[in-house]
Amino acid sequence: MNENPYERASPPSPPSNPDYTPRVELPFEFRGNGGEYFRIWIVNLLLTIITLGIYSAWAKVRRLRYFYGNTFVDGQSFEYHGQPIAILKGRLIVVAGYVVFVITAQIFPIFATLLAIGLGLFGVPWIIMRSRKFQMRMTSYRNLRFNFHGEFGGAMAAFIGYYFLAVITLGIMFPSWVRKRVQYSLDNAAYGNQQFSFLTGSGVYYKFCFITFFLGVALYAGLYAVMRTMFGVSGLETDIYVMANAGVMGWVLLFGFFVALLGVAGYYQASAANAAFGGVQVGSQYVRSNLRAWPLIGIYVSNLFAIVFTLGMYYPWAMVRQVRYQLDNTAIDSDGNLAGFTASSGVGIDAVGEEVGDFFDVDFGI
Amino acid sequence: MVITGRYFDGRTSAGIEARLEFGADGNLRVYGTAEPIVVPLAEIRISERVGNITRRITLPDGGVFETQDNDAVDEARDSLGMRGGSPLVHWLESRWHVAVGSLVMVVLISIAFVQWGVPAVANWAAAVMPAEVDHAIGAGSLDVLDRVAFEPSELPKKRQQELRARFVTMTKPLDDGHVYQLEFRHGGYIGANAFALPSGIIVMTDELVELAKTDDELVSVLAHEVGHVRGRHALRQLLQAAGISSLAFALLGDVSTISGVLSAAPALLQAKNSRDFEREADAFAKQWLRENGIAESNFDTILCRLDDSHSGEEAEEKDKDKDRFDYFSSHPSTSERAQCPKEEEVETDAATEAEPDPAPEDEAEAPFEGAPPIDTPSQA
Repeated sequence: MNENPYERASPPSPPSNPDYTPRVELPFEFRGNGGEYFRIWIVNLLLTIITLGIYSAWAKVRRLRYFYGNTFVDGQSFEYHGQPIAILKGRLIVVAGYVVFVITAQIFPIFATLLAIGLGLFGVPWIIMRSRKFQMRMTSYRNLRFNFHGEFGGAMAAFIGYYFLAVITLGIMFPSWVRKRVQYSLDNAAYGNQQFSFLTGSGVYYKFCFITFFLGVALYAGLYAVMRTMFGVSGLETDIYVMANAGVMGWVLLFGFFVALLGVAGYYQASAANAAFGGVQVGSQYVRSNLRAWPLIGIYVSNLFAIVFTLGMYYPWAMVRQVRYQLDNTAIDSDGNLAGFTASSGVGIDAVGEEVGDFFDVDFGI
Repeated sequence: MVITGRYFDGRTSAGIEARLEFGADGNLRVYGTAEPIVVPLAEIRISERVGNITRRITLPDGGVFETQDNDAVDEARDSLGMRGGSPLVHWLESRWHVAVGSLVMVVLISIAFVQWGVPAVANWAAAVMPAEVDHAIGAGSLDVLDRVAFEPSELPKKRQQELRARFVTMTKPLDDGHVYQLEFRHGGYIGANAFALPSGIIVMTDELVELAKTDDELVSVLAHEVGHVRGRHALRQLLQAAGISSLAFALLGDVSTISGVLSAAPALLQAKNSRDFEREADAFAKQWLRENGIAESNFDTILCRLDDSHSGEEAEEKDKDKDRFDYFSSHPSTSERAQCPKEEEVETDAATEAEPDPAPEDEAEAPFEGAPPIDTPSQA
């Protein structure tokens, strides 16, 4: 289904090149485990509940530190530096802003609508930019911080400009929108003072987006056909309603449909991750991403069942499995020298951007 | 004590194999660099331990010593009496009995929250909201029902007016901010039934009107539906759903793969609330009947006859299933709500098709097969 057909630039390899050094593959590795993370998760959950949510900022830092700190490549791990107080402050600002907005909406509905549109058009790209800066600058590897140099204008073009392009072309340019968003996030990232390059071409995006689209259409068409033959219903409007009332068969069908939807989602996510991470070049290092749809779908579906049947308790294991699969299939095609990066100055950004993004659940594309 | 690891100076990504020594003289030494580094212990920062992730000892100039030997760092820190993050949280996180205890606490708190917290907050919020909110929730519900379920009423205009007049005398003295309105529809496959929409519109099917032997029976059903509107059950149901969703997302929110399932969680838990609402509406109906000098038995009679009419030819099968899915049913079983005379005749003319629950998709009723035959569903 997904044989990683990614057209992409290759590392300099001709032997005639005097600078040629043999390439080595440096795999990513996840060293955490579900049992250990379960204990961290449940203790932090309890602390969050009994502090009425305030501790969640600390819990978030511990969670990210656990996952970053267990992610190794070439024998060294990543580190997350976000500070709970900065995150808490960001969250409070967001909640306060939200309350103000709701009140405004009660008193001046028209003004609030305009505000919401303005926020959607200009606020979201700004939030994404800030959020990216925070995430990257709060991450280090080998005591060198990552960085993000994206500007507001670039975010506007990628997230809003291309969105309208996708809309006026009736979705045909949707893949370009997806790609631009990833490109904004990755092209502007840097490790130390080494800028990332994003190499994945548009063709890759068009291919997997359209395959996903047709899989989805086929799925709905199949469901529609089954509905008609089994229940004699037509008109999509009433489908869910009829199924929910058609007894056990209806629920089985509904569940089967849901699992199939997850399958399509798995294909999309594997392809999108490969296209995004697999397109990253940092100096002479090239990231390789070889997620495959079926194993990813298997993990999604089995995680889903396990979480439902354990009433949520399997959650930490599910997270670890998901992350481990992704990292096990990611590697750096390297010249073997990760020691040559140098630092840039400029750290210290508050957490508001990222928290705004978290709160409104903006899709960051990768 | 000597700990091995790697030292990164923070200017390049190059690391060197190094050894770290916590000196008893109050200095920290890093060996392996060209010149050994010596800094006072008071100026270093030891990262908090989470699980067994790489430990970082940060020096004042930004250099970092990284090691996997967490236990040795902890030991050195403790023996020197240094403060280093919050060892308490790590202590809690690394013990299975603490984890199991936490799990029990989380489960108990969640159950208590769903059982008492959510309804209490929902009731409070509903009490604060004006009756217009109910109106907004109900707007359009009748249109949806008309599209997917109902057909225009075939009752004679005169009969409709009679019942409306009765309804007006019933609801006028209530004066509770709701605007009550009675509508008639042909139920079709829904059969004999009545619905209360949060906006105050009460829909009664022709079949129900035909099923009733006296107007007092119909009035008792109307009183039950008025009980739903007055009790603001639709609004409270919505608020409770929001509360339960928030809880579910707070506990498991960042798992993208299961958010779809989480959104279904309230539907299951709500079935129970829905039955509580039915009991509340029943209680209101009976009280209202008492206060207005109408025999309460009218309510029992019509409920039982409805029960029979919905069972119809499938009566046997229905009896078998009656209480099996009780947790999921939206209504309490009829035997719990009313005393039915055993010899009640079956009204086949109003018998309905097998569809057990006519709830449109935006309704909060739990649509499980095996639900006891519906009698007076309510909130849209």
